[in-house]
Amino acid sequence: MKGYLYDSDRCMACTSCTVVCPVAAATREFLGPKMVGPALSRFRRPALAPDLAADLCSNCKNCDISCPSGVPISTLNMLSKAEYYRHHRHRLRDWVLSHGQLMGNLATPFVPLSNLAIANPISRTMLGAFGFAGRMPLPAYVRKTFRKQFRALRQQSFPQKVVFFPGCYIDFYDPGVGLDFVAVMQANEYEVVVPRGLGCCGTPMVANGFPGAAERAVRRNVRALQEWTDAGVPVVACCTSCSLTLKQEQQELFDVPGAAELAARVYDATEFLLELRDRGKLKTDLKQLSGRYLYHAPCHLRDQGIGRPGFEMLGSLPGLEISDADAGCCGLSGSYGFKGDRYEVAQAVGDALFKKVRASGADAVISECGTCRHQITVATGAKTLHPISVMRRAFE
Amino acid sequence: MSACDVVVIGGGLSGLVAAAAAAERDKKVVLIAKGVGAIAVGSGSIDVLGYEAGGKPVARPLAEMGKLPSNHPYARAGKQATAKAFEFFLDLCEKGGFPYSGSADVARWVPTAIGTLKPTCFLPRSMDPAPLEAAKAAVVVGFRGLKDYYPELIIRGLMQVPAYPKRFRTVIVDPEMAGRDVNALDIARWLDTESGRHACIEQMLTGIAPGNVVLVPPVLGTVPNYGVLEEFEKATTCKFIEITGMPPAITGLRLYDLLVSEIKKRGVRIVEHATVTRAVVDNGRCTAVVTHGVDRERTHPARSFILATGGFYSGGLEAGFGSAREPVFGLPVKVPESQSDWSNAFLLSGGAQPFARFGLDVDARLRPTDGSGKAVFENVYAVGRTLSGFDDAFEKSGNGVAVVTGYRAGTLVA
Repeated sequence: MKGYLYDSDRCMACTSCTVVCPVAAATREFLGPKMVGPALSRFRRPALAPDLAADLCSNCKNCDISCPSGVPISTLNMLSKAEYYRHHRHRLRDWVLSHGQLMGNLATPFVPLSNLAIANPISRTMLGAFGFAGRMPLPAYVRKTFRKQFRALRQQSFPQKVVFFPGCYIDFYDPGVGLDFVAVMQANEYEVVVPRGLGCCGTPMVANGFPGAAERAVRRNVRALQEWTDAGVPVVACCTSCSLTLKQEQQELFDVPGAAELAARVYDATEFLLELRDRGKLKTDLKQLSGRYLYHAPCHLRDQGIGRPGFEMLGSLPGLEISDADAGCCGLSGSYGFKGDRYEVAQAVGDALFKKVRASGADAVISECGTCRHQITVATGAKTLHPISVMRRAFE
Repeated sequence: MSACDVVVIGGGLSGLVAAAAAAERDKKVVLIAKGVGAIAVGSGSIDVLGYEAGGKPVARPLAEMGKLPSNHPYARAGKQATAKAFEFFLDLCEKGGFPYSGSADVARWVPTAIGTLKPTCFLPRSMDPAPLEAAKAAVVVGFRGLKDYYPELIIRGLMQVPAYPKRFRTVIVDPEMAGRDVNALDIARWLDTESGRHACIEQMLTGIAPGNVVLVPPVLGTVPNYGVLEEFEKATTCKFIEITGMPPAITGLRLYDLLVSEIKKRGVRIVEHATVTRAVVDNGRCTAVVTHGVDRERTHPARSFILATGGFYSGGLEAGFGSAREPVFGLPVKVPESQSDWSNAFLLSGGAQPFARFGLDVDARLRPTDGSGKAVFENVYAVGRTLSGFDDAFEKSGNGVAVVTGYRAGTLVA
């Protein structure tokens, strides 16, 4: 565990995080990252009564991105949330929102009934009573999960292997993205492996104050990936929150042997492809594309310290016109914007982006993060795509 | 990481200006930023040279530069590059829709939120103190609950200034904000909204009259333009002046957003939240720098490198016992042998602090040198607070040196 990272005394109270925090901009109820993170952590040390000041933090990590002193402010917030819930009961809603894998396993066999069950007016009212945002539809489950479809897929075998970490969103809601990744890798002579035993990366559990469940998820994933990590095979995710957790968050929060070795092999899909391109390992006879797109960089990608590889890759595809929305956080932050008492904040955070999207007249909005795409589509009606889906058209 | 012409290390003012100047010459630039620089929370005014080494105020900064020692960054950059740098900066602000006023020829003294004056040169139009100097009376607008801004304190100080009016009055606007403490950013965001502007104008009109000169904290919107200022001036027929304030001082945030947006327009790629920890060197040249995240290292190759990592505060320089160093390239930082000579023991004496001048010695092309004055690497340039030979806090020259050396390095890189 990289526990040295928690040192709140490196904060010099410069207010950079206060300036960039989208939640603090949206609601005056939130005391702001500087106060809730480093400032209050100093008082939490002598085991004072745990507080809920961090509960409004959406863990979007813009504070960490802005901090000139390298203080992991959002992680301090998550630790304080975890401490609070060690002494207090959780809401059922938060349990449901943070255990997407379990819910997905339960719901998928009954699609479309399970989708009807959550999307009809009566159940939505009931969900509202449980604290869900009535106006924010939950994404619909697919009948066949990514993993099921992947098992049925016939790949061409190549000596070069890459492990794909699907994560809950792609597995239960958006398997097409995972299939597009497999297609792009196959076109570039890689065989994709999805090891048994992979599950949720743990980030929704962290964000909702379930550190125990999150740590169990981390341990399971590290174990499932170990033989591949040991063999030096890259581990790639198309979901930027999954890749951020595998690279960073699980090391900041838990002491799991093998997590550091795993982190050293983890890539965001677009980061991996850009690196292959720069090493001359990607196919260069690409199909001519067309279309005008708007790109939205997810906060959890921006936090990874790798720039915007997806945007850069797309910009180099022939015939594509793409511009960077550059309008900040979408507001949904995984599970945050689905909560009744957070919905207004989440919508206010995303407002600048929604306006950009509506004014752009683009054919589609491209973004790596599944929940960012969901938020954009629900708020604006715009079509959304993962960069890998556009790349597939160029490579196949 | 894809190869490029120039890697700029640091996202503060000097790094942003360096990136803009290099990109203007059609260089492919990558800017690697650990966080946002001090510029985003500062006043955004460009102080050029406020005080001589002895503490005497400088009336004509550009002329005074001729008397600076040869190791001062302005002397290193040279007269011509210095003048061009300021032109370039003014042009950037103009293109970004937030034109600055002022020149390096004459010092401008601007009021602060503690009722003192500070010397500077380039300012947003909304901070120009000229109307105050011409007025017989002025109004200080306060906001209920606003931290670090007390109209009585400001008036008590400004009354002592000979050139300023002797009659001030106060108008307090109530932004009706519940929840946490109110800072300038909260008020600026309130004034970003139409309803906030209307409510503010309506409340101000109870205490101001057409033709008044009105001092406000830096709250006239978060966006780099003069929309709020113009709307206020039109609705009240008063002149408004934004006073420099404590962080977050929104005028600096506007400049930061403007510069980031301008360098993106020029094709600069920004890598956020990445810390450069070391360099890859080969035979007197740097071939790449390496960032280190929680996960692993990443290599960023380029033809030239601009070091804009700042001073001790931001980690661009590191001090140990008896020695100091620059951590990315391991460049030497000259310090007095005895540690007791590093600082002035009388913290509040008003005297300069020796450690404020510690930094990198550079040649005429801003390349860090070894003890003998020879460039350590032929393609590494240092800018802003990484440099030695000036005391930004005491002489009030930090942003000026950042603009001049950033621009100069941006024009030198291959």
